[in-house]
Parts: sequence; structure tokens; C-alpha cells
Amino acid sequence: MNFFFRPFGLLLSLLGVAFVAAGVHLASILAMPEIAPRDAYARLAALAKPAQMTLLPAVLPGREMIPFEDPALAQAVCLYDLSNGPLHVHADIEDPGLLTLSFRTRDGRVFYSMTDQAALHGNIEVRIMTQPQLAAVEESDEDDENEPLQELRLVAPDMKGFVLVNALAAFPSERAEAETRAASISCSTETVARD
Amino acid sequence: MLNLFKFLVIVLAGTALGFAVTYRVLQRGPVFDVVSAGPWKTVPKSGSLDSDPYARAIEARSAELPLGSAEGLTFIARTDSGGAPLSPRCDYAVSGSVPPTRYWTLTLLSPRGFLIDNPAKRFGFTSAELVRAADGTFAIRVGHQARSGNWLPLGKPQPFLLMLRLYDTLLDFGTAKADASAMPKIVKGRCA
Repeated sequence: MNFFFRPFGLLLSLLGVAFVAAGVHLASILAMPEIAPRDAYARLAALAKPAQMTLLPAVLPGREMIPFEDPALAQAVCLYDLSNGPLHVHADIEDPGLLTLSFRTRDGRVFYSMTDQAALHGNIEVRIMTQPQLAAVEESDEDDENEPLQELRLVAPDMKGFVLVNALAAFPSERAEAETRAASISCSTETVARD
Repeated sequence: MLNLFKFLVIVLAGTALGFAVTYRVLQRGPVFDVVSAGPWKTVPKSGSLDSDPYARAIEARSAELPLGSAEGLTFIARTDSGGAPLSPRCDYAVSGSVPPTRYWTLTLLSPRGFLIDNPAKRFGFTSAELVRAADGTFAIRVGHQARSGNWLPLGKPQPFLLMLRLYDTLLDFGTAKADASAMPKIVKGRCA
């Protein structure tokens, strides 16, 4: 019974406790992104339809979906699932207001981001796809080699993810305008012709 | 029998300790890759694919969505420029310079990142709407007492933090060293 009180036994027991604690700590940290029940994607999925740009409710006290958000932003989200085909994101940049886009994985991490400053000829054209989808598209590209590519092609790390759009209302009176700007970005799944 | 008992005690104690450490770490916030500039702190890699497991765990639990690196940078201040924690009983003045950026916003949030309601329905300022002095400088007053100019009201006497967001900024803390003088100062005023 006095095992715990013998110096060597006690040390061994403490080592055992530390070993188990380290394992449990590391495992729980690594598992957190998988087990967090109300992560950002779950919150957004409760509100947004897949492959469709959905305007998020304004950031107001007690009604925030996501913490550490800026109430001066109008935000829209598009959830995607590439197993149905690549996602096409298109924006016409007409007014000079700030617009930012982030392309995220299922767990909310950004694999690409841009602002309206990256627009070409007043356009933002992005296709998000998997590696095999990219290969298929590049194969069919060879016919019109001379035309420069007018779109940005992104290979997503995962099948599922989302695009988050921020539009800044620089003045409170510009909120409606910012919401229109954010919601006007189109987002749709493309079906790829298979032979 | 004794050995089994001992084994169980060790496993249970270890499990409890492991979860307790995880809980503490998640409460305390990011540990790695934190860049400080005066009272302002940012984690430039947060929300990116190469963020560390601790940052990922914190973000997954709080469900926050940090800005992408091309979108901008988010700074959080939990203390004033003197290093003292921001107190709901005091007034503060935020003034000075902001790194070159297309737009910036300053928002008052609770420690967990939510807005604090106030009768004026003012939760932050954008760089465009600020009232500025003739020379372009600005001062934002944070506190309970209504002020003329840029008043950021603290609705309830509860702990708070300040969030500074630089949108479309040229500032890149991946390569540059953070400079406190380039950031706004938070100076404590009167305390109740």
C-alpha cells in the first residue's frame, strides 16, 4: 500500500501522470478542429444554401454568428462541395468600395485571398477545383492556346469549403450599397462534360 | 489488484491534467507567431494553411474567421500603451498614426470578440468616417462619458478590448519588424 510513498515509486507514478497528460493534451489540441461542435462552417451552413451567395445578417450585439468580426462589413458566404464539379466565382467590380474575398477550407482556413484590386478589366473570375478537375480542364484548353487565360484557377485542398466575401461600408449610410456589392458576387457549381 | 488501482489513478490523473492544460491554453489565446507593436498584437499566420495546431484549435473552438493575408491584418489590444489592462472604469484616447492602408477600422469588443451594446449604437469607426483635425490627425475617445468628436462608447461597465483592422494594407509582418510608433497609441485618461 505504501508504493506511492516510496521515493522511486512516487517519481515513477508522477512520470506516468505527466506522460498520460501530455498525450491527452496533444490529442485534444489536434482533435479540436474536428470535434468543435459549433465551428464557423456549422454556423454558416445553418444559414446559407450550398453553391449560392448568401448575405449574412449584419453584425449587431447579441446577434453575431462569428466572433471578432467588424460591424462595418457586409458579408456574404458561398458554401461549396467540389464533388459536384468546380465552383465558378464571378464578380463585376463597378464601384471603388473595398471588397475582399477569402477562399477557405471546411475548417475555415484560408488557402487564397484577394481584394477588388486584383480585378482584371473590372472582373474577378475564379474557378475552384480539385487536382483531377484542373487536369481535365487543362486538357480541353489546348485547343485555344493563343487566348490568354482570363481566369484564376485555384486547386482547393479539400472537397468542401466556402468563399467568404467582405464589403466595407466606409460610412454607415453606405451599408445597403455594401450589402448589394457583397451579394452581387455570383457563385455556382459547374458540371464538367465527361467523355 | 494494487497495480490495477495504481494504474487507474495514474491514467485518471493524467487525463484530468491533460484536459486542464488544454483548457488553460485555449483560454489564454495564441502563443506562437504573435507579433507585438506597442499594445497591439497580431498573429499574421492565423487562419492560414500553415497556422500551428494551437492556433487552429483556438480558432475552431471560438469559430472566428481571421482575415486572409491579402485581405488585411487584425490587431488586438487588451492593454493601453503603458501596459496596463484596459479597464472599463477608465477613459482612453486612441490617437497617432496608422500604417499605410486603404481602409482601417477600430472596433470595441468584449474579451471573447462580441459587440457590447450601447444606446448610441456606435461600435467602431472606419478611417473614412472619422472626424479629423485640420492636419489629418485623429483622436478616438473610448469611455462611458459622451464626448464630442469621435466617441466610442463603452456600453456596460465590463471588460473590453480594441480591434484594429487594416484592410488591403501594404504592411507585411512576415518580413518587416513591428514598430510601435507606426501604430496608434492608447492613452489612459480619467478613471472613475
